[in-house]
Amino acid sequence: MSSQWADDDDRLLAALGDAVRAARDVPASFVEAGRAAYTWHGIDAELAALTFDSAAEPAAAPAIRAEEASPRFLSFTAADLTIELEIGPDAITGQIVPPQPGHADACPASGPAASTEIDEIGCFVIRPLPASPFRLHCHASSGISALTTWITL
Amino acid sequence: MRDDSPVARLVAQARDGDKDAWDAIVDRYAPLIWSICRRYQLDRTDADDVAQSVWLRLVDQLEVIREPAALPGWIATTTRRECGRVVTAARRREAFGSGLDAENIPDGRPDEAETEVLMAERNAALREAFGALPAPCQRLLALLITDPPVSYADISAELGIAVGSIGPSRARCLERVRRHPAVAALINVDPADGGDISEQPVGR
Repeated sequence: MSSQWADDDDRLLAALGDAVRAARDVPASFVEAGRAAYTWHGIDAELAALTFDSAAEPAAAPAIRAEEASPRFLSFTAADLTIELEIGPDAITGQIVPPQPGHADACPASGPAASTEIDEIGCFVIRPLPASPFRLHCHASSGISALTTWITL
Repeated sequence: MRDDSPVARLVAQARDGDKDAWDAIVDRYAPLIWSICRRYQLDRTDADDVAQSVWLRLVDQLEVIREPAALPGWIATTTRRECGRVVTAARRREAFGSGLDAENIPDGRPDEAETEVLMAERNAALREAFGALPAPCQRLLALLITDPPVSYADISAELGIAVGSIGPSRARCLERVRRHPAVAALINVDPADGGDISEQPVGR
């Protein structure tokens, strides 16, 4: 790496000024939000990774207006559980596979989670749409606990 | 960067549940995320959105990061991807005819991306060195980097030191910055050899 910036005092002082200003320009609340993200560290659940997102697929005929858009489908896969979601305009319909009852928590980045029942065939509805971004924490009756990666609507 | 770098240490500590180490990581790289968001001309709300996505993702990744030294690169890449996502979403909201076409979006060419990460590392090292300076040095350098510049006469009055001693003090304080291990590592000077530098005449 070229280190001309440290070659003489004028350059070093200029580099130091840039460094100090770069940090000073960052709003304190911007930093604080980053610090707060750590509350998500060490959650005791299996991570369910995103394995399908219809929004990430190249659309055959791209919807031009939002109101023409079809529902978005997402799949998350953990070792012992798959979570399928359909994002509608005002609610999320989901199912866990293998089907079993339990409950699902929609967890926003901060603030309380919204809990909803998962019925006997593994289906659940989350209404209204959670604040974005959020992650879904599914607790199945078999004892499986799976947490999706972050979902941005 | 070596795996015994400060970043690698911070990642290992944060993984083990050390909140202070996490805060240090955030403090170190928030300016990198912020500057990328500025380059994409995001407003504050969108910038917050991007940063939140990056940090939340990183918390999940802590357990699986194999090469902590690659962290700044990962943060920069993830930030640019999130910025791209936000810009695309904004364009969709505006539906037709916004002036934003793909070519206007700074998508981070490899060299530019690398420079951004190197700058972030350099800035972090310089801030670390600055923070480790004795208070008189910090006060002096803080005045010297003020933009617009403060005159030596004003600095003299502010700090109660003779105008004639500002130059030598400046050189001495900057030498401390240069010799701080974090900075020395970047300028490829073995700290053990640092003594040679101070023997050289000031104000080359």
